[in-house]
Amino acid sequence: MQKKSNVIIRLVVFALILFVVNMIASKLYFRLDFTEDQRYTLSKASKDILNDLDDVVTVKAYFSEDLPAQLLSNRQDFEDLLVEYENRSGGNVVYEFISPNEDEELEQEAQQSGIQPVIINVTEKDQVQQLKAYMGAVLMMGDQKEVISVVQPGVNMEYGLTTSIKKLSVTDKPKVGLLQGHGEPSLQEIAQLQQQLSILYEVETIDLSTQTEVPTYLRSLAIINPSDTISDMDFAKIDAFMAQGGNVFVAYSNLKGDLQNGYLSKGPNIGLEDWLATKKVNMGDRFVVDANSGSVTVQQNNGVFNIRSQIKFPYFPMLSDFPEHPTTQGLEGMMLPFVSALNYTGTDSATTFQPLIMTSDMSGLAQTPTMVNIDKKWNENDFRDGPQTLAMAVEGPLAGNQNAKLIVVSNGQFAINGNPPQQISPDNVNFVSNAIDWLSDDTGLIDLRTKGVTSRPLEKLEDGERETLKYANVVVPILLVLIYAFVRKQRYARKKQKWMQGNYN
Amino acid sequence: MNKIWIITRRELSSFFDSLIAYVLIVIFLGLSGFFTWLFGNNVFVIGQASLQVFFQIGFWTLFFFIPALTMKMLAEETKSGTIELLSTKAVTDWQIVTGKFLACLLLVMIALVATLPYYVTVSRLGSVDHGAIIGGYLGLVFLSAGYISIGIFASSITNNQIVAFLIALLIGIFFQLLFDMLGFQFRGGLGSVFNYLSMRTHFDSLSRGVIDSRDLVYFASVILGGLTVSQAMLSKRNWYS
Repeated sequence: MQKKSNVIIRLVVFALILFVVNMIASKLYFRLDFTEDQRYTLSKASKDILNDLDDVVTVKAYFSEDLPAQLLSNRQDFEDLLVEYENRSGGNVVYEFISPNEDEELEQEAQQSGIQPVIINVTEKDQVQQLKAYMGAVLMMGDQKEVISVVQPGVNMEYGLTTSIKKLSVTDKPKVGLLQGHGEPSLQEIAQLQQQLSILYEVETIDLSTQTEVPTYLRSLAIINPSDTISDMDFAKIDAFMAQGGNVFVAYSNLKGDLQNGYLSKGPNIGLEDWLATKKVNMGDRFVVDANSGSVTVQQNNGVFNIRSQIKFPYFPMLSDFPEHPTTQGLEGMMLPFVSALNYTGTDSATTFQPLIMTSDMSGLAQTPTMVNIDKKWNENDFRDGPQTLAMAVEGPLAGNQNAKLIVVSNGQFAINGNPPQQISPDNVNFVSNAIDWLSDDTGLIDLRTKGVTSRPLEKLEDGERETLKYANVVVPILLVLIYAFVRKQRYARKKQKWMQGNYN
Repeated sequence: MNKIWIITRRELSSFFDSLIAYVLIVIFLGLSGFFTWLFGNNVFVIGQASLQVFFQIGFWTLFFFIPALTMKMLAEETKSGTIELLSTKAVTDWQIVTGKFLACLLLVMIALVATLPYYVTVSRLGSVDHGAIIGGYLGLVFLSAGYISIGIFASSITNNQIVAFLIALLIGIFFQLLFDMLGFQFRGGLGSVFNYLSMRTHFDSLSRGVIDSRDLVYFASVILGGLTVSQAMLSKRNWYS
């Protein structure tokens, strides 16, 4: 027997203990990250960058105080991350949180620093109100400044913070050249790529007609989508650059797909194909078609209605399976329209080559020139040539005695935003940035760039097999339980019978 | 411990001797299977080698499944008077409550083990993040443990099973849905408290594959809290004022 009031006191004390334990636990905690890519643990790139910091980076985080709880967790995550950065950098990262909603001056300060408020709807006293929420940060080192206008939740947070610190701390950025003068896109036309490269590099345009050589201080030279003839003189300069160990990235299509007129043909000879051949990289003259492809929108007139429909278009290979290489780490998928196949013909043992992007097993080669026939019924016979290489890396003495690296992609368009600019898929940009990193011997940010975006596609299955698997997964577990029920019942019946016979053992 | 284990085994086998366990497990597996593989955004529609779909379905099916499992645990014993019989057998109320809790938890775990074919299928069709899957299952187990202790509490305050089921569901709705919504409505300290109380916050965090001590402390608190008040309610018959 116990006294009622004692029980109640005991319960109240217990509730208080739980409350206090939870309060303490929310401040003192640990985390075990079981994800395969250690998504929620600081990556090596971040740690390296923080270790190398030799000056203090001040982070001013402008976060509104009265955010809804879900957004508050974003602030909490950011603070957790900053605490970790502070510890890792040996105190070289210091931070403070500022609530800009408190007074107008702070709000103006935030906006002047380039932090954009996010407008969110909250319900208060039965009225929907719009709230200006600030979730940005300004990083300062010496007189330099970097702004994260909106702190993105999730894994992007680490990327944003680390790259901003990297931008501040690299005082003397290595230089990367972008070849100009042969119809290549300008820096503005490759805005997305330029922005990503600018974290680690200074991108410089190189016009060989005005320069006697490719500057040797360049870590690498990028030749992206040239359309006019490149003179032998220019190639000689590029060769001289490679002879001294310079590395080159080439993205170029030797085929032309004109969807407007439905005509597919070989492009004009601008000399690049021949130059690549001297490096033993041959570009094919047929179009690669892949059963695993993107689609085009087709407008069909159905008498009364205009119907827009999506039709699979094998000239747009979809790439999702990438060979193991630093340049392809963490890539999800790319689409490279109108490409030819690359072949490496070298036999020299000093030179190595590796395919970087390949089409699926169901790939074929289509003749040029040809007219596009959108209604063509594709069948297995069209895809009998096996996987084709669309990008490769070659390494060795390519133009002299010194080792040089060369990456070739048989599509020139995929990294260009164009004019007017169009957004391109982040993986296209990631691939080129990774390639430039690899060529420039700076692979530090590759891991971080594609961290947490890993796609884990399921294998493609025949319809029948897929249906079988679906129903099997629904039925098998239930069947297992029913079988168990049956066995148990049988056992019980046997036991019962034994008992009835007077056998109690 | 031995006594707890005896009660657990007795309860578990009484589940399997009656139809209840089979009916509940089959409904659970049927719903989970249907939504994971056949309907709407199923695994093949999403096309990713992950069981996130199943974990989100499980988050809801277990929410309904558990009150049905726990409703009779103490309510029936009180109604039929067998609780008196049980407590004369030199077991404490705490042992009864814990034993029954463990029996329910084991039953849920058996139901979860029956979904392992999902895991086998997905891991054969693509590269699976095993950590995230372990985290997901762990999340479901902790979530179930939390709801079981709430369910046992509901069952301890009434001798009517239907009432116990409804009370468990009502309390559950707060943890499952309302705290989450309130967390979004309120700002400042109150909002954080509601957000912290929401099962979803902690379940989502675990099912990403990250084991955070804060989530473990939260689930342990819910479980211990539920069991403690159940024990107190069960001992009510011995109270004097």
